[in-house]
Amino acid sequence: MTQNGNKSIDLKNPFELFGLEPNFLLNEQELSQKLRDMLQTVHPDRFVSSSDQEQLAAMQKTTQINDAYGVLKSPVRRAQALLQLRTGVDSSGEVTVKDPMFLMQQLELREELENLSVKKDMNGLMSFAEQIESMQEQQIAVINDFFQQEGENQELESDKILAEIYKLQFLRKTLIDIEAAEEKILG
Amino acid sequence: MALLQIAEPGQSTKPHEHKYAAGIDLGTTNSLIATVRSGVAETLPDLKGNHLLPSIVHYAKDGTVSVGYSAKIFQCSDPANTVSSVKRLMGRGLADVQTIKEFTANQLTASGIGMPAIQIFDQIRNPIEISAEILKVLAHRAESALGIPEGDSLGGVVITVPAYFDDAQRQATKDAAQLAGLNVLRLLNEPTAAAVAYGLDTGNEGIHAIYDLGGGTFDISILRLEKGVYEVLATGGDSALGGDDFDRAIASYLVEQAEVDAADRQAHQMAMLKAREVKELLTEHELIDVHFMNWDGQISREQINELMAPIIDKTLLACRRTIKDATLKFADIREIVMVGGSTRVPLVQQKVADYFKQKPLTSIDPDRVVAIGAAIQADILIGNKSNDQLLLLDVLPLSLGVETMGGLVEKIIPRNTPIPIARAQEFTTFKDGQTAMAIHVVQGERELVDDCRSLAHFELRGIPPMVAGATRIKVTYQVDADGLLNVMAEETTSGVQAEIQVKPSYGLTDSQVTEMLKNSIEKAEGDMQLRMLREQQVEASRVIEAVRAALQDNGQQLLSEQEFAAIESALRQLEIIAQGTDINAIEEAIKVVDTNSQEFASRRMDASIAKALVGSEVDEL
Repeated sequence: MTQNGNKSIDLKNPFELFGLEPNFLLNEQELSQKLRDMLQTVHPDRFVSSSDQEQLAAMQKTTQINDAYGVLKSPVRRAQALLQLRTGVDSSGEVTVKDPMFLMQQLELREELENLSVKKDMNGLMSFAEQIESMQEQQIAVINDFFQQEGENQELESDKILAEIYKLQFLRKTLIDIEAAEEKILG
Repeated sequence: MALLQIAEPGQSTKPHEHKYAAGIDLGTTNSLIATVRSGVAETLPDLKGNHLLPSIVHYAKDGTVSVGYSAKIFQCSDPANTVSSVKRLMGRGLADVQTIKEFTANQLTASGIGMPAIQIFDQIRNPIEISAEILKVLAHRAESALGIPEGDSLGGVVITVPAYFDDAQRQATKDAAQLAGLNVLRLLNEPTAAAVAYGLDTGNEGIHAIYDLGGGTFDISILRLEKGVYEVLATGGDSALGGDDFDRAIASYLVEQAEVDAADRQAHQMAMLKAREVKELLTEHELIDVHFMNWDGQISREQINELMAPIIDKTLLACRRTIKDATLKFADIREIVMVGGSTRVPLVQQKVADYFKQKPLTSIDPDRVVAIGAAIQADILIGNKSNDQLLLLDVLPLSLGVETMGGLVEKIIPRNTPIPIARAQEFTTFKDGQTAMAIHVVQGERELVDDCRSLAHFELRGIPPMVAGATRIKVTYQVDADGLLNVMAEETTSGVQAEIQVKPSYGLTDSQVTEMLKNSIEKAEGDMQLRMLREQQVEASRVIEAVRAALQDNGQQLLSEQEFAAIESALRQLEIIAQGTDINAIEEAIKVVDTNSQEFASRRMDASIAKALVGSEVDEL
């Protein structure tokens, strides 16, 4: 058995489903407010005594909303969805980053994580996580700038954005690995 | 504090419209049932005034089954035929049994459904049957307390499960309810239920942590309560860690002191009972005299604290992980709520307070809070409350994955994803003319299949034979609002629905459930037929009522005249057929209504969403 990737159920525009303008920056409170409003009316809990068809439709609709919410909430997935929406570029595949500065930094960060893990330095790991978190914030700002420029430059440079999204993904992954290292130390 | 509400005669829900619903906490050590009466949720006592029903079942040689306190009597005198902590066996494998030490007194054997079973006299009882006995007693208690006439039953129940229960454990719980003849409105996570009980009392918005340490399970859930919506942000825990582990640690200390023979089962059982007594006494006292077998001595609270501390530390580690999963910090937690009898242990409260740097909330009886929350939710689900307020949004507790080459797991849906949720995966054949393939679904966080819980083997058949790689099979994994998984497969180029055979690793297939249900009804064949007919008629009137209401609501706006007429005629047909006695014909007529109203149902959802979004825009102004 071979397998061809793992996708969300419905790649319909998640922004549209939530009645939002397709922008990278979004108001998290507004997003969760809209989630609550929609689910108040279509969640399966509202259809416990309804016909099987309505129960099924409620489950499918809620599934779609939950899925779209997952995309919109995560900066990486939101950027990928927005890029696909605007340029048609599918960003779930392989990305090659040629930026030597970033590659260097990547190596250094991995090394730092390795060192702290070996030394079982809990405090070091915690402040390292804070450092990555602030890098993550900066990276989100960089991606936002790219999407903002689009209007001015007409053409969105999808290769460049893909590389920036990849960097954000890398930082996210590093944070997860830091957590795993902390867990290991705590037993 | 729960206030007694007095309603004006005109304001109360009309009695003939009131449907009876109950919340059931099916616990490892004790179980409870609660219901909402006159607007107040309360647990229901038995005739002797006991609210807790010990989750113990005894089978006598003459076939008499006793449950609760009447079964507890046999725990020492007839341990081989007395089953306690059966929840620990639900949805688990025989191989897990080595770690479940209570069952040394019972003879565990294979049951043919993956789960371990218990040999009692010449019969084999599986955990689902044993749990059903407990549920039956609770349901009966509710029916008599609510004055439900003979022959009628509860409209529906909400049964709580540990948030950390996996798919097999949830399915087993639902099967037990079905076997007990109960209509399950929803499986509700225990910490979420507790939050509901607390939230309605205090109306506190913000982020709450629910620390739930029961007899055999530990759960931690992080929830955000905002504008009547409870959103579970993350959940974690250990479905094989609980207060019983405290008892066991103390019991092995007692066994050591009294120099008990390792093979003496009865002595070990007595040590467990004594340990529980010691633990409970030391929540009040600092030092007590203990007599066990030939040993007399003193045990201090400090001594048992030392024995319990490592177990509590494990729970705190899970708390830390779950808060991280919710991408929160300890300082974000506004309140921490204590649930489960084991949180009465002073060391638990102290360690939790130290760890979260705040005093935990314990105002509702930790034994009853889950059942109370479940009752409130059951009341809302069955439609007794105007449902424009409370809504629970829960998550998948453990990641779902499929086996790939080399025994590795590929994650399909990560843990803490809001449910219901679905993912699709595309597969292709690797041999010419291949017409079948197998998918092994597992649940857990580890990378190797062997380290995760095996849920089921799905076998796809009837794939149209084509050259290798030409077929595209879309497999959809759907998790419903109960946290239960369903798998569908479709050949996308031809649109052929592949046939799926499910072999649950631990549990029953649908036909096995039906079979057990039949066996459990000892009455004559005629009664079974009558019961099935009655059930089908109830289903028919439920469908008619629901679809009619929908048509009246917005059928005119959403349907063309032709579509409207098609549904209406299907309904009329069903009404006529449902008055007859042909079970199959009624079932068919229901299907016709279903098919005709499928599109309508989906349009109604879209209309609701559009309305909700317009509503939120107005809110922003």
